Amino acid sequence: MHSSSPFRRFFTGPAASPVGQFMQTFISRPEFGPFVLLILEIIVFTLRSGAFLSSTNISNLLAFTPELGMIALGMTMLMTSGEFDLSVGSVFGFAPVVMWTILNTGTASLEVGFFVAIAIAVVIGYVNGIFVTRLKIPSFLVTLGMLLVVRGTALYITDGFPQRTWSAEGSWIANLIVGEFTIGSIKIYASVIWFIAFVIVLAYMLTQTKFGNWILASGGNAQSAQARGVKVGRTKIILFIMTAVMSAFAGIVSSIRVSAANPNSGTGYELEVIAMVVIGGTALTGGRGTIIGTVLGVLILRFMRNGIVLIGVPGLAYNIFIGAIILGMMALHSWLERRHNAGV
Amino acid sequence: MNEELVRMEHISKFFGRVQALNDVTFTVRKNEIVGLLGDNGAGKSTLIKILSGALIADSGTIYMHGRPVSVRSTTDAIKLGIETIYQDSALVTQLSIARNLFLGREPTKGPRLLNRMDQQAMNEVAAGLLKKAGIQKDIPPTTPISSLSGGERQAVAIARAMHFDSELIILDEPTNNLGVEETQSVLRFVRNARDSGHSCIFIAHNIHHVFQVVDRIVVMRRGKKIADDIDPRQTTIEAVEQVIMGHLDSIPDAPPAQ
Ligand SMILES: Nc1ncnc2c1ncn2[C@@H]1O[C@H](COP(=O)(O)OP(=O)(O)O)[C@@H](O)[C@H]1O
Ligand SMILES: [Mg+2]
Repeated sequence: MHSSSPFRRFFTGPAASPVGQFMQTFISRPEFGPFVLLILEIIVFTLRSGAFLSSTNISNLLAFTPELGMIALGMTMLMTSGEFDLSVGSVFGFAPVVMWTILNTGTASLEVGFFVAIAIAVVIGYVNGIFVTRLKIPSFLVTLGMLLVVRGTALYITDGFPQRTWSAEGSWIANLIVGEFTIGSIKIYASVIWFIAFVIVLAYMLTQTKFGNWILASGGNAQSAQARGVKVGRTKIILFIMTAVMSAFAGIVSSIRVSAANPNSGTGYELEVIAMVVIGGTALTGGRGTIIGTVLGVLILRFMRNGIVLIGVPGLAYNIFIGAIILGMMALHSWLERRHNAGV
Repeated sequence: MNEELVRMEHISKFFGRVQALNDVTFTVRKNEIVGLLGDNGAGKSTLIKILSGALIADSGTIYMHGRPVSVRSTTDAIKLGIETIYQDSALVTQLSIARNLFLGREPTKGPRLLNRMDQQAMNEVAAGLLKKAGIQKDIPPTTPISSLSGGERQAVAIARAMHFDSELIILDEPTNNLGVEETQSVLRFVRNARDSGHSCIFIAHNIHHVFQVVDRIVVMRRGKKIADDIDPRQTTIEAVEQVIMGHLDSIPDAPPAQ
């Protein structure tokens, strides 16, 4: 090993060397904890079960992960601005019901149904945003109310029965959003591509743009941000709309993939998604957010759900692990935050 | 004498039955540093909050450059060039120094659609401003506000006011909770503000600090203005204290030798 090898420097060199400095910054980043946890998880599951890294299992993971993941990305932006949305799961269930009902009743084509469903999501997000920013009602109450309204509507218009979705074959929009292809022996849905595209766009938005600075400031100190000319209300309304639209899109993707639009689907997703976001290092109270962290949080929880079944832990024990991970990660983030504020 | 920058005329304000301001008329000229003194509860903060848009007067008019203006929010005030620096300095603690300095007025580069902040320019300008603001330590502009000391935070807030060419900078007890060094740097900054063409309203508990930096002293007591034209070079701290406490209604005519 020659003397300037990164490994040597990491283990023996002074912290001021470029690599040492890089490690220092890397360790103090909020994504570091979730990153280590994810690696550990992969190692443990791979060692305990040969099936974990099999191509069938990876295909499975890649099918469902982007669907919850897209909701989590929207939620990350919203939570960074200091709000959150409990109605995401109900929108996830409702949007495909709207789309398929429009098609199945012969009202219009699948494409029209798709755009109507997305337009309804825009309205839902807008209403959430108006209630929170104009009427100053906490997002917890507003979006809880919206959850019930949206879920109730989905159940009402379907009489509680799943909608048939077999007629999606050949539609350009269905191919565009969930068309499948294979890389080697791994089957991949187009939703993975969509998810990656959203990650890139939103990470750019949050860290590089003026709008991103406004999101962070709105969540950090809304009053001073407002005084500086930041349009806090408008910023939050846009994010509520974005979150609702991404939930609707995720629901549509999911319904096409499993060929069913169940008015009950998405139940309980809101909490799982919020867990993914906070595990990744985004603050529930706003002002701090990370898209990369959320990607890690999504993978941690999806791998956990998948892996513990593979290694023979009863699936019912899943929540114990999730709860423990949330508590552990929160402790870590708060410790890092205090260390950081102390100027270390 | 310089021309008038701000004139608050016949301002009154009630909080329930408490009259916090009673027909106060108060002016600040261009390039002038005015010290606003008075006991606790005299109405100083209420007066400047009305000027900075944080409160709205029950009656009275505000003029800038001789023209009546409407200050109904802090945003209005900032647009008019009135910046206020509070004790807690109203920064977003999670954001970096540079991001705070430019908050709401971030420079962008590249195609408009991409909305890209020019972070390099922001950091460069911020680094220069911090030096001017009297922060001797070499603090990178990417440091979050949460890891700065109270004095450094004040310096950032003042630097922001100066960079965006506010005509009037209001400091309400900016030196409370600050160490000796930090207090000196805030005072130095107030003096610099005048040299670079800004006007200031300076409120402080410590009358010695006020004497060190201001051109003119205004005294308030129980919601009323009781003295307007005290020149700190023509009088003593003791005499002004007598006026503040209500033992005297004005500074004695024969100024003691300095
Ligand atoms: N938000 C408020 N609500 C009720 N009373 C207030 C409020 N703000 C100030 N006051 C009252 O107005 C008077 C003037 O207060 P203030 O302007 O803060 O004085 P100062 O800054 O000179 O110490 C005091 O009697 C105070 O109790
Ligand atoms: Mg006060």
